[in-house]
Amino acid sequence: MRDRRDDRPEDERHPADDTGAPADAAAGDADGTVEDAAADDGSDGAGGVSRRDFLKGLGVGGGAVGAGLLAARPAAAAPPGPRRLGPGPVSISLQVNGRTRTLSIEPRVTLLDALRDRLDLTGAKEVCDRGSCGACTVLVDGRPVYACMMLALDARGRAITTIEGIGTPEKPHPIQQAFVEKDALQCGFCTPGFVVAARALLDGRPRPTLDEVREGLAGHVCRCGTYTRVFEAVLAAAGRRGGAS
Amino acid sequence: MSETRRIRIGENGRLEEVDVVVPDGEPAIWDADARLAVVGTAVSRLDGLAKACGRARYTSDVRLPGMLHGRILRSPHPHARIAAIDATAAARLKGVRAVLTFERPDVFAAIAETDEAGRAIEGDGKGAAAGARSLLYAGDEVAAVAAVSADVAGDALRLITVRYDILPHVTDLERARRPGAPPVFPDGNVRPAAVRKRGDIDAGFAQAAAVVEGTWRTPVALHNALETHGAVAAWQDGGLTVWAATQGVFGCRDDLARFFGLEAAKVRVVSDYLGGGFGAKFGAGIAAVVAAMLARKAGAPVRLVLDRAEENLATGNRPSTVQSLRIGAAADGTLTAIHLKTYGTGGIAGGAGCGGPAWNIYACPNVLVEEQDVHTNAGPAAPFRAPGYPQGSFALESALDDLAGRLGLDPLALRRRNYIDKPAKALETQYALAAQAIGWDRRPHLGTAGGQDGRLRRGLGLGTAMWPVYGGPPADARVTINSDGTVECACGTQDIGTGTRTAMAIVTAEVIGIAPAAVRVTLGDTAIGLYSPASGGSVTLNSILPAVRAAAEGAKAKFLAAVAPALGAAPGDVDLAGGEVRTRDGARRMPFAQAAARLRTSVATAQASRVPNYPGRGGALFGAQFAEVVVDTWTGCVRVVRIAAAHDCGRVVDRLTAESQVCGGVVMGLSTALLEERVIDHDTGLVLNANLEDYKVAGTLEMPEIVPILTEVYDPANNAGVKGLGEPPIVPTAAAIANAVSHAIGRRVRELPITPAHVLDLLGRPAEA
Repeated sequence: MRDRRDDRPEDERHPADDTGAPADAAAGDADGTVEDAAADDGSDGAGGVSRRDFLKGLGVGGGAVGAGLLAARPAAAAPPGPRRLGPGPVSISLQVNGRTRTLSIEPRVTLLDALRDRLDLTGAKEVCDRGSCGACTVLVDGRPVYACMMLALDARGRAITTIEGIGTPEKPHPIQQAFVEKDALQCGFCTPGFVVAARALLDGRPRPTLDEVREGLAGHVCRCGTYTRVFEAVLAAAGRRGGAS
Repeated sequence: MSETRRIRIGENGRLEEVDVVVPDGEPAIWDADARLAVVGTAVSRLDGLAKACGRARYTSDVRLPGMLHGRILRSPHPHARIAAIDATAAARLKGVRAVLTFERPDVFAAIAETDEAGRAIEGDGKGAAAGARSLLYAGDEVAAVAAVSADVAGDALRLITVRYDILPHVTDLERARRPGAPPVFPDGNVRPAAVRKRGDIDAGFAQAAAVVEGTWRTPVALHNALETHGAVAAWQDGGLTVWAATQGVFGCRDDLARFFGLEAAKVRVVSDYLGGGFGAKFGAGIAAVVAAMLARKAGAPVRLVLDRAEENLATGNRPSTVQSLRIGAAADGTLTAIHLKTYGTGGIAGGAGCGGPAWNIYACPNVLVEEQDVHTNAGPAAPFRAPGYPQGSFALESALDDLAGRLGLDPLALRRRNYIDKPAKALETQYALAAQAIGWDRRPHLGTAGGQDGRLRRGLGLGTAMWPVYGGPPADARVTINSDGTVECACGTQDIGTGTRTAMAIVTAEVIGIAPAAVRVTLGDTAIGLYSPASGGSVTLNSILPAVRAAAEGAKAKFLAAVAPALGAAPGDVDLAGGEVRTRDGARRMPFAQAAARLRTSVATAQASRVPNYPGRGGALFGAQFAEVVVDTWTGCVRVVRIAAAHDCGRVVDRLTAESQVCGGVVMGLSTALLEERVIDHDTGLVLNANLEDYKVAGTLEMPEIVPILTEVYDPANNAGVKGLGEPPIVPTAAAIANAVSHAIGRRVRELPITPAHVLDLLGRPAEA
């Protein structure tokens, strides 16, 4: 039985960062916790709450929720700290694919579940739910992020790009086109994550070597075994984009 | 009734004419002489952009109005009885709509005759001694909840209190075999052996100039398809509709109909896209049944999608094996006897046999195969891509390399002496092409035996692939040409990621003379009413494409009869090609869409069924894989540098997706060879790595160069000449890698996965000859 708070590392870094994003785009602090530095979007009046603070505020920062039920914890038990949100639903706004979306969610809802279950953006997939497969990758301020590892609250004020925002079947991105041409997909369940990560990789490093592609996509699992064709597709897309610029 | 036709079979350069008996009305057979425009070319997947743009809707993406989310409570104990369950607090939680508890012993007994998960045994009452249901492994189903969100459902599960009577458990294979071990089932853990025998092995060993023997071990492996088992169930329109992550919509439908006591026609199963199955997703399974149970109780649609841990505990695995193998050969390498005695555990299910390779791959007159299942308190096995074959191949090919060494023969020469002489001799070509691609002639100069004594040692190894061809009737398809010029192809099959959709379009396009992308394909829905077998065992294209072909030919004939007068020609004097209707002399032409507009009715449509294989035709699939590895003798790390994989699939339908199948099988085989092993702590009986970071599957960093080689074989047993390709590419990969590692370090690998620790352990032993 899974629990959303108990067992996952906080490190949200993505392998594509190592070769891709510019250094100044890294928003995490030393231990990888992402601070919510964005201005209050006005929807809930409670900006500036990091995931860590949120967890501390609920008395579960040590990572052990045990069998206790979050909703049943008496509010008085919470130590003083940053302004609390939840456990009931709160209204937040997210910038997704260039649009402002307002939704009411419990603070424990991950960005992935918010996208999939509330906004019907089901391109990002839930596969491992603990940051080990890459299938849920989305761009947050241009950085690839495992959406199962980020609370939706922490995505407020950030520019979120999902696979749906990268291209459409009618107007695909060159990376998507290359994936189809090279048959870099079989069942296709991992494909959105690979495409999003490839986009971040090429944005940061337009002409990667094969080894840089391997490293950049190392956080992604494909069980059908299309990796070598993914490499071909990303290199082909890089060549095309490079030729155009 | 039937007629005899002369066709040409074999492979290019080695063709021969044979007579085949085919039913009346069978289309012209696509034999070696067929000249095809689209079939066999590289065609991009029809659904490629939908997948690459995140628009493909898998079962886990289905969202219905008012849909609830289901979760399952699972046993924390490897063996227990439910003494009492109290779910009242869960039922009272805000947002909870339905709660089910599974203490009744027969709760899942009716799921499926085909379910090997031990449920049927419980249904017989064997597990019901105390009137409470026995939980046979950690992860067995205890209760389920439907609520307004998955998080609330999870909250509710934590409010269910269960009192377990904990029973003694056994998860260790060797301990389970010993007298006095805790019994998983009342009649014991060790099942009777299945024995296959041909010839006389004692006589065979007596004739042998050399005999090798050894014991090889493989671990339990987990499917880990990226989409977990799951379903969305809705009771609507007077029946049950289920979107299911399944490899077989019809099998899933029949299971649900049986379980709920409904007519099959009242159950509809839909699977537009499937995120992988690899054998673990036949039938309805617990997830679809529980989703439908919850939906019925809640009076609302329920989505129940398992999480990764559940997937890895409860939905299937590849059983372990311990194989004792003895092989004898004459001085020239001709095999005289094979004796395989093997046992393994698929947890509470069977299926640990792995004798297929020893029985099938090489010609040997005297073979004895003894296979035995041992039950343990672990999740049930399920078919896993080429069930039994990768394990059996590992031991068999390892022993053959030992034998080659003993006889002073090149390992490839030993295989060539013993391959099975089937009508289409693709294997000889496959050995030649793959050996060339890997540079086999370097082998004497590589490895410890070749004089390499530095830190890095390079080795080469090979293995032979073989898989019986299982496809056939029943399968039905329909092709429709509409007066607006659109063309539709429908079959109630499913595309599990192999490219079935695209292959259906290619065959239709070939017959109608249009581009594959212009064909609208409908599949993945029992409501289509056109039957297809489940997609497993490499049967899908073999079963459905001959029906698609016959339906397309039927629609084409009706279409030409209707439009020929517009060209002032008789129907027999016109044909479809290049997007046109043409008279056979080429004098008069009309674009296809313009001709379609002249259909007197709105459609020209035909339905057809798969006819049985032509008598005496067809046969197994073969292939050969060669691996090159570099072993770091300081760290024990194995790097696979290159794998050359030559395979036949009969006639290639889509070169692009066929090569992807080969590459995918190789990658999964590599993963099996080097990385994959389910780990159980035998004291607690708990799986320690039911996730995707501790259960490691091959990723980008492990990828070798893969050279897929397709050797077309024309031996049509059906009008399209297709055989299948899903299983063969995984069969010999682990064996080829293990042989390459053994070659590199001069010590025989006897256990998978080939971890650094295992390699270092081997290096601590004396080098073998």
